[in-house]
Amino acid sequence: MAAYIDLIGIRKSYGASPVAAVDGVDLSIQKGEFVTLLGSSGCGKTTTLRCIAGFEMPDTGTIRFSGEDITYSQPSERDMRMVFQDFALFPNMTISENVAFGLRLKKMRGRYSEAQIRARVEEYLSLVQLADHGKKMPHQLSGGQKQRTALARALITDPAVVLFDEPLASLDANLRKAMQVEIKRLHRQFNKTFIYVTHDQEEAMAMSDRIVVMNKGRIVQSGSPEEVYSQPNSKFVANFIDRANILTGIVETVDGSTAKIRLASGATLSAPTNDATISGKTVGVMIRVDRVSLGEDGSDQRNILRGIVAERLFLGAKNEYVIELADGAGRISVHERTAGAQASIGDVVPLCVLPDDIRVLAA
Amino acid sequence: MRAFGNKPLVAGLAGAVLLFLYAPLLVMAFFSFNASQFTGLPFKGFTLSWYEKVLENETLMRSIGASVYVGIGTVILSMLIGLPAAIALDRYDFPGKAAFRRVVMLPIVLPGVITGVALLSFYITIGFRLSLNTIMLGQGTALTCIYVTEVFARLQQLGRSQEEAAYNLGASQIETFFKVTLPNLKSAIFGTMLIVFSISFDEIAVTYLLTGRENTLPMALWSILRREATPEINAVATLVIAFSIVLIVIGVVASRGKDLVAASKS
Repeated sequence: MAAYIDLIGIRKSYGASPVAAVDGVDLSIQKGEFVTLLGSSGCGKTTTLRCIAGFEMPDTGTIRFSGEDITYSQPSERDMRMVFQDFALFPNMTISENVAFGLRLKKMRGRYSEAQIRARVEEYLSLVQLADHGKKMPHQLSGGQKQRTALARALITDPAVVLFDEPLASLDANLRKAMQVEIKRLHRQFNKTFIYVTHDQEEAMAMSDRIVVMNKGRIVQSGSPEEVYSQPNSKFVANFIDRANILTGIVETVDGSTAKIRLASGATLSAPTNDATISGKTVGVMIRVDRVSLGEDGSDQRNILRGIVAERLFLGAKNEYVIELADGAGRISVHERTAGAQASIGDVVPLCVLPDDIRVLAA
Repeated sequence: MRAFGNKPLVAGLAGAVLLFLYAPLLVMAFFSFNASQFTGLPFKGFTLSWYEKVLENETLMRSIGASVYVGIGTVILSMLIGLPAAIALDRYDFPGKAAFRRVVMLPIVLPGVITGVALLSFYITIGFRLSLNTIMLGQGTALTCIYVTEVFARLQQLGRSQEEAAYNLGASQIETFFKVTLPNLKSAIFGTMLIVFSISFDEIAVTYLLTGRENTLPMALWSILRREATPEINAVATLVIAFSIVLIVIGVVASRGKDLVAASKS
């Protein structure tokens, strides 16, 4: 079944560069979905978005939008609006004029009367809490207000898809949080398809229905925030999404869906797997900092590791302990609520982690 | 920056530079009001008669008219070529772009005499009659490079995202140009107009070679000066300076006007 938006084998390189910016991306997006392309700078996420918007033409590949091939159509012909990182407001127009821009174009002529345009602009300005700012010029607004103007300007034309190119990257941290909530609310309210590009994994996790992790022009993993967080399919994703401890071990046996993995410290961990062929191989073992705790609770369901507290960092609501495992097996960071278990530097402590909280990764 | 201005040496040096720049102009303006046949001391009393003489001097008045005519024509002609050239250089890739850019910039480094001689022999070859229009043509093409540099710099500074936003909102190329690109270039275009006009106004080398029967103001002044230096010259020059100052003020106000209006409203 064809999805709402289909990217098929998109490849794009710039100029004479031998490295493709986007190197074979296949992606299907459902109607109403909030999809985030996540990756560090240069991973091809913005180029992919610009291909969808029509600002770039892929070298090869096809983009289909509700069944229609739009790969080479003009940006102005696509029912998609973009919100830019640098806001891209028109400095020669007031905020109201900026928001009304799309409605006053030749394309839209006759669809709205001047009175309707004015009413609609007011409606959308109050939607983004800028009702009193319509007469101002863009340079008189703060960064957050500018981006909300850009949002209203995009939404007012009632597009099928809204594209976001790192829209919050130039705002400060508090404002970014508030805008995340606002964008999420607008997505719920309008139920449009949102395609969002960011390098900020926290932002991606907070807002998206689905996260598409990209690296070196390719999609590495695509899944719900919960999935990419707890079941990363590679060390790259594990490291990119939040904090992860990654140890190395050798798989001793695979029994059904459980693997026994021996670390360099001699400790063995049991972890879930569905791949029997990893028996005898060296693998990566990922444990999230919040899924491991100090102390042992006595139940034999749990994996127990031992190590020495090498560092203790106070993070406010929680402490971070860095535990040095024996025999150079590596270090593990543990987040423990400040009110929870305590330890001091130099203490030998047990750590316990549930088998289901361990993820086996290819070495 | 603040500490800089406090140092007597710096202030003295700056003062000296300003003195060398502007003292001659002030002296000239001063003697244009001197009721004496000769430029120079003693000051024999205040008079406006030199200004009256200028207004009565048909040759001078016609030459001012000719200069303004050439100046305006040059401004329009160089804009018509320079503006599209700058946009092409910034927005499009085409074969020979680098060469095109250098060729357009060449008149900046070419001495006026060379440009003038080249144009003169060209016009004679194709059988153009020399007139104010040939001057206009010569200056207009030579000064195109100023539009290209100024507008190109502004386009680079603007970036692409505003135009992309306009396309993205459904605007056609023409709508985008007139509603988004051009308004942002307005102050650059206007400033360049003033620069081009003032360069054209006092240009001699190209004009000298390309002029027909009619003279522009610098040419007229030149021929008067060769006979005798009357205070009439001082009066004309003072008028030109006053006119230039007015132009500069208009330019500054126009390029900042929008901000001022916006600021006073908020």
